[in-house]
Amino acid sequence: MDRIAIVNGIRTPFCKMGTVFNDMSAQDLATIAVRELMIRQRIDGKNIDEVIFGNVAQPPDAANVSRVIALLSGIPMTTPAFTVHRNCASGIESVTSAGLKIHAGEALCILAGGTESMSNIPFFLTKELQEIISQINRAKTFAEKCNALRKFRLKYLSPRIGLSLGLTDPICGLNMGQTAEVLAKEFGITRLAQDEFALRSHQRAIKSRDLLKEEIVPVLPPPHYKQAVEYDNGPRENQTLEALAKLKPFFDKYSGTVTAGNSSQVTDGAAALLVMSERRAKDLGYEPLGYLRSFAYAGVEPQRMGIGPAHAIPKALRKAGIPLKEIEVVEINEAFAAQVLAVLKLLESNQFAAEFGYEGWTGAINPDTLNIHGGAIALGHPVGASGARLILTVLKELKRKNQHYGLASLCVGGGQGSAVVLER
Amino acid sequence: MSISFRQQNNIGFIEFDHPQAKVNILSAEVLQQFDAIVEEIKRKSEIKAVFILSKKKDIFIAGADIKEIEGINEKEEGVLKAQAGQNIFNQLEDLNILTIAVIDGVALGGGCELALACRYRIATFNEKVRIGLPEVNLGIIPGFGGTYRMPRLLGLEKGLRMIATGKVISGPEALKAGLVDRLYPAQGLEEHLLNFLEEVSPKPVTRRKPKKFKQKFLEDNPIGRLVLFKEFRRSVLESTKGFYPAPLKAVEVVEASVGKSREFALELERKGFSELVTTKVSKNLVKVFYLSEKYKKLTWPGTENLTAKPLNRAAVLGAGVMGGGIAQLLSFQGMSVRLKDINYEAIGKGLKAARKIFDQAVHKRKTSASFSRIRMAQISPALDYSGFPEADVVIEAVVENMDIKKKVFAELGKVTSPQALLCTNTSALSVTQMAQATQNPSRVIGLHFFNPVHRMPLIEIVKTDLTSLETLAAALQLVKRLGKTPIVVKDGCGFLVNRVLLGYINEAGRLLEEGAGLTQIDKLVTDFGLPMGPFLLTDEVGIDVGIKVLHILADGLGERFKPVETFEKIYKAGFLGKKSGKGFYVHGKSRSLNPKVMSMVTVHHRRAWNSQEAIDRMILLMVNEAALCLQEKIVEDPGAVDIGMIMGMGFPPFRGGLLRYADSLGIEMVIDRLRAFEKNFGPRFQPCPFLLKMQERQEKFFS
Repeated sequence: MDRIAIVNGIRTPFCKMGTVFNDMSAQDLATIAVRELMIRQRIDGKNIDEVIFGNVAQPPDAANVSRVIALLSGIPMTTPAFTVHRNCASGIESVTSAGLKIHAGEALCILAGGTESMSNIPFFLTKELQEIISQINRAKTFAEKCNALRKFRLKYLSPRIGLSLGLTDPICGLNMGQTAEVLAKEFGITRLAQDEFALRSHQRAIKSRDLLKEEIVPVLPPPHYKQAVEYDNGPRENQTLEALAKLKPFFDKYSGTVTAGNSSQVTDGAAALLVMSERRAKDLGYEPLGYLRSFAYAGVEPQRMGIGPAHAIPKALRKAGIPLKEIEVVEINEAFAAQVLAVLKLLESNQFAAEFGYEGWTGAINPDTLNIHGGAIALGHPVGASGARLILTVLKELKRKNQHYGLASLCVGGGQGSAVVLER
Repeated sequence: MSISFRQQNNIGFIEFDHPQAKVNILSAEVLQQFDAIVEEIKRKSEIKAVFILSKKKDIFIAGADIKEIEGINEKEEGVLKAQAGQNIFNQLEDLNILTIAVIDGVALGGGCELALACRYRIATFNEKVRIGLPEVNLGIIPGFGGTYRMPRLLGLEKGLRMIATGKVISGPEALKAGLVDRLYPAQGLEEHLLNFLEEVSPKPVTRRKPKKFKQKFLEDNPIGRLVLFKEFRRSVLESTKGFYPAPLKAVEVVEASVGKSREFALELERKGFSELVTTKVSKNLVKVFYLSEKYKKLTWPGTENLTAKPLNRAAVLGAGVMGGGIAQLLSFQGMSVRLKDINYEAIGKGLKAARKIFDQAVHKRKTSASFSRIRMAQISPALDYSGFPEADVVIEAVVENMDIKKKVFAELGKVTSPQALLCTNTSALSVTQMAQATQNPSRVIGLHFFNPVHRMPLIEIVKTDLTSLETLAAALQLVKRLGKTPIVVKDGCGFLVNRVLLGYINEAGRLLEEGAGLTQIDKLVTDFGLPMGPFLLTDEVGIDVGIKVLHILADGLGERFKPVETFEKIYKAGFLGKKSGKGFYVHGKSRSLNPKVMSMVTVHHRRAWNSQEAIDRMILLMVNEAALCLQEKIVEDPGAVDIGMIMGMGFPPFRGGLLRYADSLGIEMVIDRLRAFEKNFGPRFQPCPFLLKMQERQEKFFS
């Protein structure tokens, strides 16, 4: 069968929530990446059969954000578009959905990607206030209006914050950080190990700044268009272990180990990837960056969502028929240092492999192949975009080093894991 | 026959369809035909209702016959012509049946007045629907009852505004104003019309829009009206500066006919109309109207049959004031734009300028926020030539330096597609030299935009000897798509507008150095009718830009363009005009003379000066330069000079244009004055051979 080619990709810089991209919506960010990708790849919009973007927060002013992105990017209105949502793996889902569509013969060329503006996740009214407002709107007489207004209490004014609602699991009731605490305790991951992992993420990201620039389109943020943003703004140049050690545990104040410093940053950003059937890419004269070899999703307990990759990785490798030791570039999304470290521990466990039938497809991951340009702890985690970014980063690195096999994996809120095997 | 009448059961249909023209106009002949049909309907008692329609696409009736209006030279003739039309529309109004105008396109002037005389007006959702009384633009007021009926239909304030400003409105706006009673889709219109008839047949609707409180307060009592008309007079005077008598006359006529009978009001109207129609101002405005219609639709010999391929993708080089403005204009008109400059800071400024124009358009409700968002997203920044190979048109707007321009064009020749149109927005440099830097000079052309790009209506298309007809055709198509008016000029130093304009600016500088006051000179020029004086204009454009172009002109055309010493000093002191906050004036919330500039004026030979001489020096120098341009065939047609100077520098339309103004002085007087100036002020005033030949042959620019 024709392989799924990822011709090329590009992303905006990843910038911390409330900073330079504060005035840009998820669709604005994605549009910049898509337009630039199309111009640099010199692809005519009419060659694009479908647009699939991943997005988690789903901006209320842009329902089906993919369609909005497509039209803002100048892709012909005759090209359809849909949006995918698999929480933190939404960016990966866009690529695997594209792959399935192409394999099913439904499309030859798909613009995929992910986008997130965590700066623009709205606050919600309390249900009580909502009720009062709609009663007032329905009221026919002045007296009815007054009646409705009488129910008003000041406390109803406190908003429900969309971001924290989104980061809280509705099944187990824990927020994402608390699920990381669960894993830290279960696997005995120390505070020091987590902080060291976080420090390394920052150090690597700083060192790779100019390498990462290769995958970034500089952005002139409106409304002032003053200073071009050319780099991710999350990595801290002078990050020290001491500074990390000073931070208080955020999710479990007394016995916790997960801090803001060893968790991923809340960030805005978008990434776009041009996905085609191998033959289509050849016909259009492209030399693809690489190919999607296999992928897998796995379900786990919601309160242990961070462990997801430990299941998704062996499943994807088994489908690809490639053992872990042959993988030269690995990206596991750093939602939390504790969670990544737990995954690594479990992948080394023979008992775990035996219990789930993963024998032969697990093992130790060489730290020198893992997240070598830093991860979400330094770069940030714009939830809908991260999956697409990991694929882009792995493929660029494979190309740079002229290597063959890569792996990108994310844990997924709600209790899932996702993994893709990439090759070139 | 231009009008046909058919009857279906007891409903009549009057259909306008001029057999030889694209539009329907109300010539005397057509009016007579219409009159006959109205008489016929009057006789047929079985007819219960009449629809008046047009069979032309996107046109109802475009207005009266301007040629006829232009031909009126006696007041009595004007009175008679107006009366004839008024009588016919009175007949229409007095019909005892339902009369309904169906507007599916343009209904202007007389066409609008015809509709006003009907009982009801219906418009379609056609975007081409335009309704209004633009007569003041021709220096007259409506003469077929418009001044009587419009204020009675819309209310005094709104109705008078329509007449005095000549504002033309769309279908939805007309519905909102109460000018039309319904909007219907053009699809299946006839059924809608019949339904409407059933709706209004049993009980006629009299007044459509209830008056709002403010309207009642102002319009329904004499004191309110006094305030209303006073305010109107003030704002009309402010916008016309007293040069255009028509709007003021409109206020006068409407005020005097408040509460009066139709007969009385119409008599006032035709009196006012006939007074205006014979004025020089009106005659000049009609000429300018013809000119601008001609140039808006300009074609060039040999390009008529060339269909240029559609232009969808553009690239702009240089994101300065001009580049940013051009990028905005291109994206506003639906093209995607790649905007390149040498660093992001420069591009950021261009994007910000573009965004500001979009934001203003949204603020003024000219466009919606979503439209402006998608158009803004169409401009993408670049530091390299990515995106240029796909561009259908490239417009270069980098710094005015020939070496850089040549380098840029050499690169463009390599990176762009061989079919792409390559344009330079130079204001004075040789387009030919730039063209020669590419492998194929035939696809290079100059497009000289004026600042601010989104507001200035003119573009000079600079054709070199190497430019192909295909390229010219594509450039003409682009300019029209951008909603601008083109003039085609030959590639000579400074082209037309800047060359003529800067001679005048420099002359103003010389007057300054002879001891004339800066604000006095500016006032002199605005009193002549220009929107601003030479120094304020220079501040708007930028003193640095002016100096630069003057140097280019001096190098190419001679000493007469060498910038006066004072300009150089002011420039070196860093006063660049509005963009730096200070130029000849200090630009803040209010404007005041820059005190530091006054001390920099080098007074060479102080002399007594009088205003007539000063204005003649500035204007006649332009006439002489323009004549020289005609002699050198920079432009072929004096009309191009007039439209160029009206749209490029704001030469007052009521004077008919620069060369028509010269015609009104007479060639003898022009040459006499130039000769006198030559003796007193130097050879720059020496009348050029073109003028001398005109004198010899006793010719005018416009015969």
